[in-house]
Order: sequence, then structure tokens, then C-alpha cells
Amino acid sequence: MSAPTFMLLGDAALTVSTSLARELHADLRVRPLPGVHESVPALNLLTVLFDPLTLDGSTLEDTLRSRLAGLHVHAPTESRTLVIPVSFGEDVGPDLAWCAAHTQRSEAAFIAALCDLTLEVAFLGFTPGFAFLTGLPAGLQMPRLDAPRERVPPGSVALGGPWAGVYPRATPGGWRIVGHTAMEFFDLSRPEPVPWQPGDRVRFEALT
Amino acid sequence: MIEVLAAGLQTTVQDAGRRVRALGVPAGGAADPGARRLANALVGNAAGAAGLELTLGGPTLRLHADTLLSVCGAPFDATLDGHPFPLWRAVPVRAGQTLTVAGTPLGARAFLAVRGGVGGQEVFGSVSTDLRGAFGGQGGRALRRGDRLTWTPRPPAQPPRAFIDTDLRTTLSAPHVLHVLPTPDATPDTLAALLGTAFTVSAQADRMGVRLRESVPAPHDPARVSVPNVPGMIQLPPDGRPILLLPDAGTHGGYPTPLAVVSADLPRLGQLRPGDTVTFRAVTLDWARVALHAQERGLRQAEAALRLWYGR
Repeated sequence: MSAPTFMLLGDAALTVSTSLARELHADLRVRPLPGVHESVPALNLLTVLFDPLTLDGSTLEDTLRSRLAGLHVHAPTESRTLVIPVSFGEDVGPDLAWCAAHTQRSEAAFIAALCDLTLEVAFLGFTPGFAFLTGLPAGLQMPRLDAPRERVPPGSVALGGPWAGVYPRATPGGWRIVGHTAMEFFDLSRPEPVPWQPGDRVRFEALT
Repeated sequence: MIEVLAAGLQTTVQDAGRRVRALGVPAGGAADPGARRLANALVGNAAGAAGLELTLGGPTLRLHADTLLSVCGAPFDATLDGHPFPLWRAVPVRAGQTLTVAGTPLGARAFLAVRGGVGGQEVFGSVSTDLRGAFGGQGGRALRRGDRLTWTPRPPAQPPRAFIDTDLRTTLSAPHVLHVLPTPDATPDTLAALLGTAFTVSAQADRMGVRLRESVPAPHDPARVSVPNVPGMIQLPPDGRPILLLPDAGTHGGYPTPLAVVSADLPRLGQLRPGDTVTFRAVTLDWARVALHAQERGLRQAEAALRLWYGR
């Protein structure tokens, strides 16, 4: 593990760049620190929001350093695997043909390659329940659209840059849509409205 | 019960917001938290009790039971059954009376507290309305005519006679000088441009963000990855027109954020009004700390005095 780096954002947030961002986030949930409101993961970084009346950035930095020293990268076996049933096809995946051609595969081969992968939830953000999924090999990474669509239908399975994702609700979006799932990713009627967390494994399963 | 006779421009149920950014859910909560705390304290509520956030044009509300109301924030014109309704103090209201809130010549928002706290859909520990996500508060939307809101009944109480001191009120009058701390995204050129420009609040000002009209040269890096946003951050999109992030801003963003407004000035962001002039002044972390402690001391003194009055 490389040494973590810290940077203050204003007077009430500290960003830690570390390969153990997810583990630190989980640790802060299990063992909360007084004065820390919440922490927000992104790719290899964690932004910690704190109460500047009771905590200052340098004290927090020291505490987080010692927390990090005791953490280890989680083994994949400790995370859940979520299988997402996906309908692939021109009607629900307007960019499927383009993506297949871009990778010089048939549509069937492209779908098979995508469903063969085990992806991982890097972090959640953008809109409630949206997860940034990592694990696409370079050959399946798709350039974003030049101009975002004004409305991406909810349930759209999409690829953009290094990421894969599912749009939980209708939003504008610039990723390439290859399919659709009926799975809900922000459902307030459930006890756990958001079904995935950073570190979870994800597979797409093609519905026939 | 509160019956909504006219909704106003954008009246929403808000409290102190939620803390689940890690799930992609914005914080929400009253855009002027100082006004929220004082309005709640005036009617004997906890600081985070839910009330109504009024925006530029207020609602008309009929109260169907006796209660205490207070309105803190921008100086909206308000009347109770046609008689002037004073802001910044607790006002007893009787069943059947109608509160009419018109517009405000200054600032943008006020917080209306009801003794006991307003009810609404609770999501992740908060009843704040998330308009974009369409959840929380009154059906995840702004109030409409005909809506009926409830509040938690509390024993009747005599209202304190005190007004909130003007020193404790969020500064409303433009030009706004917002105190900022540069972030690692601030290049010398960007910083000089941001600190040297008098900006104007554009019409694109809502609970997600306040867009400024003037532009500065902005770096553009399409490969930049999304990182967490922080309240009060100033985003610089490729067109160079800065955006001040408010409580409903998305949890992550891909644009550079060269400045962050200090915590003590966050309540002022909720009062920026289209047409207002805004300039940024860089301060040190020590300055930010002293300003926040001074502001907090005043707020806590007022809250403590009002708690004592209500015997809480």
C-alpha cells in the first residue's frame, strides 16, 4: 500500500487518497469517530465530513493515519455478489450494435463477454442508488457519447469510460446503453432501499 | 392541521437533512440552517425539527388548531388574518386563522417553524424534501394548493416576548462577500480570476446550486473522474461560470472545485437571490475557525435562553 495523502476541502472536509478508501469507510461506520458526520467514498479516495467546531483537520488526519495503519485490503470472499438480470437488444439497448461493432464482436459475443465479467461496486454517487462499477477490461471500455442524452430510461444498463452502471431513475446521461434491467436500485419501500455497497461483486445475466 | 390555500413559489418541508451521501443521496435540509435553528428555538422545538422553507414568494396557510409559529430568514411580508405578522419571534395562532406570506425585497428564503414540528415522509432519518429525487416531505415535491400538513402536537406554551437579535440573523444584503478557502484544484490563474471578479447571481439558482453569470478561464479535463462534493464548494464547469453548491447538489462531481465557502458563510448561500452581486475573499483556516465559533456562540446563547423559557 502506498502512503495515504490528505487534503483539506474547506474547513469541514478532509479527503484521503488511499487504496484502502473503502476499508476506511467501512471502519468509520463500525467504529464512528466523535465529530465525524459521514464519509463518502470515490475511486481510491474517501472524503470525510466533520464538525469544525469540535474537530480540526490535522487532528483528524492523525487519527485517520493510525486507523489506516491497522487496515488490510478486504478479500473478495468477504463481499456479496449481486446478479443483475439484463435484457439485451436494440429496443432497450440503443447503443448495443455500436458497442459490439466498436469491439469487433457480434452482438451475441459482446453480450457473452460482458456477462462473463465479475464487476465490482467502486462507489455510489451521481444520483441515489447509482453505482460506479469497475472491472471492465480495456477492450470493453466504451467512449462516452459526445453529447449526453437528455433522458436515459430507468433501468438502463450502460457503459462509459472505465465504468459500467445502471441508471436507477430517468436522468440525463452520456454513457452507452446496451440493455435494461427491471431490478430496482433505489426503492424506498424496502428496508434497505439501495441493494449494493462499495466492495460488492456484480454480474450481469442475459435474459433470453 | 395546516391547509395550503396557496402554495407560494417553492415551499418545501425541510429539516436538518440526511447523512447518506455514500449511497448517492444528497444531504438536503434547510438552505439557511441558521434561520432553521432560530425559528425552531423560538417555538420550543429541537434545532433539527422539520418546518417549511419558503422561497421568494410565500404560501397562504390556514391553521386548523391553535399553535405557535415563527418565521426567520429573508424579510418576507406576512400577515395573519390581514394584520402584520412579525418575523423573528414566536407568534400564537388560533384555529381558523390564515397566514399569508407574500414576497421579500431581500434574500431568497425563510424557515417557518410550527411548535411540535411539521410531519412528512421520512427517508434515511430526515423528512427533508428532495425535489430532484422526488422523495421526502410532502410526496417528494413542493407544496400544492389543497395539501394538508400535520404537526406533532405539543402542550400549549406561552410564547417568549423576545425578538431574535439582528446580529444573529443571516446577512442578506448584496454585495455579498463570501469567505473562501482555496482547494488543491485552485491554480494561481483560476484563483486570481475568481478572487478578482465581481459576479452576479444568475436566474439558475435553486436548492441544488447557484450559478453565477460571469465566466473566468476554466481548465477542461474530460478524463477527470468523479469525486465527492462538499457543501459550499464552488464548481468550475468548462464554460467558466462558477456554481455554488447548495444542500441538494449531487454527491459527486467531475468538475474542478477550486474554492470552498467557509462553514460560517454557508447559511448565506441559501439567501443568494438572482441579480445579487457576489465576490470571494480568501481567508485562512484560522479566520474560518474564529468566525464559525463566534457565530455558533451567538446561536447557542439564543437557543439556550429559549430552551430555558420553554423549560426544556
